[in-house]
Amino acid sequence: MIKLRLFLSCIAFLSPILHIKGDDFKEEMFIKPIPPSHLYVYFQFLTVANGEESFEHSHLAPRSLGEIVSRYQVEELHLTLTEGQWKHNEWGYPVLDAAPGAELYVWFSPEVVDVDTQWKKLSSTLSGLFCASLNFIENMNTISPKMALWPAGVTGKSNHNITSQLRYASLPREIVCTENLTPWKKLLPCGSSHGFSSLLNSRMIHNTNYHSIGVHVRRMCADSSCVETNLEIKQTVALVYDFKIIKSMDWSIRKLFGQGLPGACPLSSSSKIYVDTTSNNSYPFKLHPEPNSIMLSHRGGSELELAVYDINHSNMMNVRASYEENNEIFVKIPPPLTFNRYVLGYGKEFGGIVTELSNNYWAPIDVVLLENAPWWLPIQLSTLRINGEADSKLIMSKYYSPGRNRQKPYHLELLIKLPPKTTTTVTIDFEFVYLKWQEYPPDANHGFYIGSALISANLPTAKNYTSLPITGSTFDSIINASKPWYPIVFRTNGAIVSLPTPDFSMPYNVICLACTVVALAFGPLNNICTKEVVLKLTGAPVSLKQKIFNIFKKKKD
Amino acid sequence: MGLLSDPEYGSVKWVKMLKRINFPLCCLCYVGSIIWFLTLAHRDFNNETYFSENALLPGLVTNEFNGEQSANKFFTEFLQELEDKYEETDEMPVPWLVGKMSQLGLEVHTHNFSLNYPFGQGQTYNGINVYGILRAPRTSSLEALVVSVPYRSLSNHQKGTGAGIALMLALAQFARLQNYWAKDIIFLITEHEQLGMQAWLEAYHGLQRESSSFYTTLGSFWQPGLDLGKLKKGFEWITTDHSKSLDPGVLKGRSGSIQAAINLEFHTPKIKYVEVKVEGLNGQLPNLDLVNLVHKLCVKSGIHHSYKNSYSWIRSRNVIEEWVNNIWTMLGMASAQIAGVPNGNHGLFHRFGIEAVTLEGRELNDPAGEPPRVQSLSTGNFYRLGSALESILRSLNNLLERFHQSYFFYMLAATNRYISIGQYMPSLCLLCGAMLIRALSLWVTLQNDDEQTESQPDKNDNKGLKVKELSEVLEADTDKKEVDNVDGEKEKLMKEKDLIKNKTVVQVNLNVVNVGGNYLLVHVLGFVVMNSPQIFNYIGATYFDQPSEVSVFYGLISLSVFLIFLTPFLLRFPSTPLTFEEMSIINILLLIELATACLAIGMHNYPLGLCIAVVYTPLALLVEVVGDDNEKLSIIALFLKRLLCILLQPLFAVSIALMLYSWVLFPEEGIVGMLSRGRNAAVQSVMFSIVDSMIYGNWLFNVGTTIILPTWILFWQILCNRVTRISITN
Repeated sequence: MIKLRLFLSCIAFLSPILHIKGDDFKEEMFIKPIPPSHLYVYFQFLTVANGEESFEHSHLAPRSLGEIVSRYQVEELHLTLTEGQWKHNEWGYPVLDAAPGAELYVWFSPEVVDVDTQWKKLSSTLSGLFCASLNFIENMNTISPKMALWPAGVTGKSNHNITSQLRYASLPREIVCTENLTPWKKLLPCGSSHGFSSLLNSRMIHNTNYHSIGVHVRRMCADSSCVETNLEIKQTVALVYDFKIIKSMDWSIRKLFGQGLPGACPLSSSSKIYVDTTSNNSYPFKLHPEPNSIMLSHRGGSELELAVYDINHSNMMNVRASYEENNEIFVKIPPPLTFNRYVLGYGKEFGGIVTELSNNYWAPIDVVLLENAPWWLPIQLSTLRINGEADSKLIMSKYYSPGRNRQKPYHLELLIKLPPKTTTTVTIDFEFVYLKWQEYPPDANHGFYIGSALISANLPTAKNYTSLPITGSTFDSIINASKPWYPIVFRTNGAIVSLPTPDFSMPYNVICLACTVVALAFGPLNNICTKEVVLKLTGAPVSLKQKIFNIFKKKKD
Repeated sequence: MGLLSDPEYGSVKWVKMLKRINFPLCCLCYVGSIIWFLTLAHRDFNNETYFSENALLPGLVTNEFNGEQSANKFFTEFLQELEDKYEETDEMPVPWLVGKMSQLGLEVHTHNFSLNYPFGQGQTYNGINVYGILRAPRTSSLEALVVSVPYRSLSNHQKGTGAGIALMLALAQFARLQNYWAKDIIFLITEHEQLGMQAWLEAYHGLQRESSSFYTTLGSFWQPGLDLGKLKKGFEWITTDHSKSLDPGVLKGRSGSIQAAINLEFHTPKIKYVEVKVEGLNGQLPNLDLVNLVHKLCVKSGIHHSYKNSYSWIRSRNVIEEWVNNIWTMLGMASAQIAGVPNGNHGLFHRFGIEAVTLEGRELNDPAGEPPRVQSLSTGNFYRLGSALESILRSLNNLLERFHQSYFFYMLAATNRYISIGQYMPSLCLLCGAMLIRALSLWVTLQNDDEQTESQPDKNDNKGLKVKELSEVLEADTDKKEVDNVDGEKEKLMKEKDLIKNKTVVQVNLNVVNVGGNYLLVHVLGFVVMNSPQIFNYIGATYFDQPSEVSVFYGLISLSVFLIFLTPFLLRFPSTPLTFEEMSIINILLLIELATACLAIGMHNYPLGLCIAVVYTPLALLVEVVGDDNEKLSIIALFLKRLLCILLQPLFAVSIALMLYSWVLFPEEGIVGMLSRGRNAAVQSVMFSIVDSMIYGNWLFNVGTTIILPTWILFWQILCNRVTRISITN
């Protein structure tokens, strides 16, 4: 205990020095009850590395990640590892959406010439760093989105979205577990011993309905003139709890994470808990202890009430919410834009992917829909239908890049204007292909995963919108941040299709073996049947020349 | 092959033998096949069921189901609701169901569908399905399981399903609180029995009524695209009509690909035993693993279960008694599969590649009949049913891959004995083998005739040579201007030449035109018959004011009679009469077609294939080409053959079978009663098979009209035409 105090005081003494050096660490936690039965918890650990380009030395920023960023000349990097699907219809919008499985997208610096090689190297390195199967990212599942993704940070010299330097890949079959969380926690300055990250023990968070961990690296302006840029490393965790499964509506940090909060990380310059109390009107609850302050925000026509806790360094604390009896039936108002994606058809010949986009708002919304189909699921542009029509006026721009077997995925981007209060259905058909027998994954009859589609929208309203403004990094920036539009990128749910699969079983093996035997037997049989057997005369007289020749031949042998 | 077909290599011996023994051999095959089928029921010839899929891990989890009280509550509330508000109508208590399901925390949706009855005058029937989706945590809704219950109103003549709905709700309440689900669970309540289920499945898989773009007609097994419809003549019209009659509507919420489905039919929790129903559309069966799973877990949860005549609480020690019992179980299964009509809502899932079974609760005095020693069984309750269902769902939840390990083609001889496709196919093969042997022996006979006729061309050649020589002589003669007396001879010779020419032409060409043309025409007739019901319905409704089933049935009867009189004349239509060889070739082709069709049908629906083969093989063996040199005795035989043939006309055979069946069921009613009951049953069954083929895609009617009827017509043509044995007389 004394040692700890000594350590803490040391740190307290050192922290101004560290501050002078420039690295800055902030931790934030955002809790939002989603009535009637869910709770959204979002962690955000923000490290700003100041002026370090090579990462030979680092202070608070993780050196392992920093080195990767500098070595591979990464401008901006987004990596998420997610289990479960965010249900936008029910839960509203998350701060940052993530595709089920693993998702990685990166802008390389304009100096990088051979982006593909660099991308392969980067994904392999990250695979080692996070113990995830990112090494399965190859050209055959990588695309360069043209319209759907925009950099979140400052982009080098020009203001343009240089899509040639952008690579996007998702691995929907990736399963996320403790092995990914542990290396992720090691990137934090306090590890898992202090601060908010000590709450993240896998026993609790992997039992939630949805969990997603992420690393987002971008360049931010150091000052208003923006001559210098800082590297911002944001590590996020998003969790959704189900009240029905945790068996009560009253939640507390102790209940959610199995332990109380042991104070802030000593290295952090600020650690705050924000509790969204907007739903208090319909589902009243009381917070214990009382929050340090309450912030009110008017943003894009929606009101937000945040209870803020400033966590100091030492004392253990527990935030608790107790609900009052409520017999009212909660009527859910759907968010402005909802979507759904599913696979059509049955059998092993043809199928279709449908993406339904519902605009529940009174004004049209422009969205970019990015469909990304693996090479074994050839989607045909000729079969593209918007609401059943081949030539729809809703499409304002279209990009299609056909795939190539075992080399390149199919990539379709559509800029669509969604009319108000309607549902738009985008359908595209595909044909099943036969794979080579070695290309089937283990448990081949489980089915093949189709990744999520990306939907990039500029929402005209901030209803259900919880994301931070693009220039902001902390939750303070959310307050009264009204903008003409609110950009967000959604991921739809994925799907599973069962390709024609051979019978990988004993009879199959027997058939293979029998065929081999038949093939082996065919050769000699064919020889016997087709070749002519000619009798050779043995007692024929041999000429003198031949005799001499034979003598030489024998000698040679 | 070369060795086999070498004419000089002992084939003569073989051919002679075949000629001599073909009929007894065929009879032996026929008898052997039936004996084979019956022995399959014996313990020594079938196998104990086992789990092939390891991932199921049946019964390894501890049951936690605790919803007995809530199930009882749901049950009484549901019945109360029905009595209060829905006694008069057939409607489903949608608000009540939606309310309950949303209270449980499910994602609830309703689904509207409508049916344009294909034989009505534009009547449409509407229906609503209610379903709630339990979203599994930590998944992105990739896979799903379905628990379904058909809704039956109080006025329905069938047993209600109130307990099933209550059990399902209690299970949903229990399952919603669990954290271990890896697959979504869809709780579905359908209206209008199979219609609602079919509509829901079609909507789930994106089939739409207006088949404009290709994915909407997708997967219906005779589509998609354009080529297949053209290839399989006779099927595309169903697709169009099919899509017109049932409008599946759209679903608002979906989950992933459905892995398995359990359909519940429980009238009351106080059941004596559970009947596991497996037979689906067109006799398709669920994977044997699922069937085993259900049986095994019923045992584990202490529920008595049965399949047809096999009851889990009765295990006979007497081998013969058990054998007979097993035979009855197999025949019960076969009869359900022959009709191809699913005997529960599970049957419609199979076509979409989803494994499904129905659990039906049976009481003491069940309409299905009273099984032995059922009184002594303890009555069931919601706890046992719930824990059985829970363990089934948790086993299915364990599945990594969709069902693919175990058998899809099998027969069940008891709840725990099965017969695989490898074991039962030989009996069908023997039947078809009998037909093929018959065809081979006919061919061999014909070949020998050809050999005999082969000597003729030599004669012809000789004549030809003569003519050639003569004409050369003539040409030489014309130079010598001795025209007068030679001219006459020349004309004579020329005439002879023409005659020979004509004769050879007749023997070579007409074979194909006569045989092929007739063959095609007969099959087109079958196609016409398949399309005729709607015309009959129209005629019956407009001119005679009859209900559709009557007009269609009598329309088909009159069409059959018309065909009986017309078709024999089709063969006389060509300018030259058919020869014995041509008739034999028709017979051979017919035998091959019938054998192939039986095998092909039997691959998909073994009992149907077997049934067709059993009925038509005797006819096929007896029918032979009638020469005009018959004696008195054979005239009687011929008459008997024709009579048998008439009796086996598909429509007549069905009517007769149903009359006999009604006689077995109601022996006290006498002959008149039997006839009228049988007629009514035939009228109904024909109508059902036609409607089923239009709405659900049941093959039975299509197979009957496009395959069985044309082959029957050919049999009839062969029996009704006398041909001269030209080749032999020559």
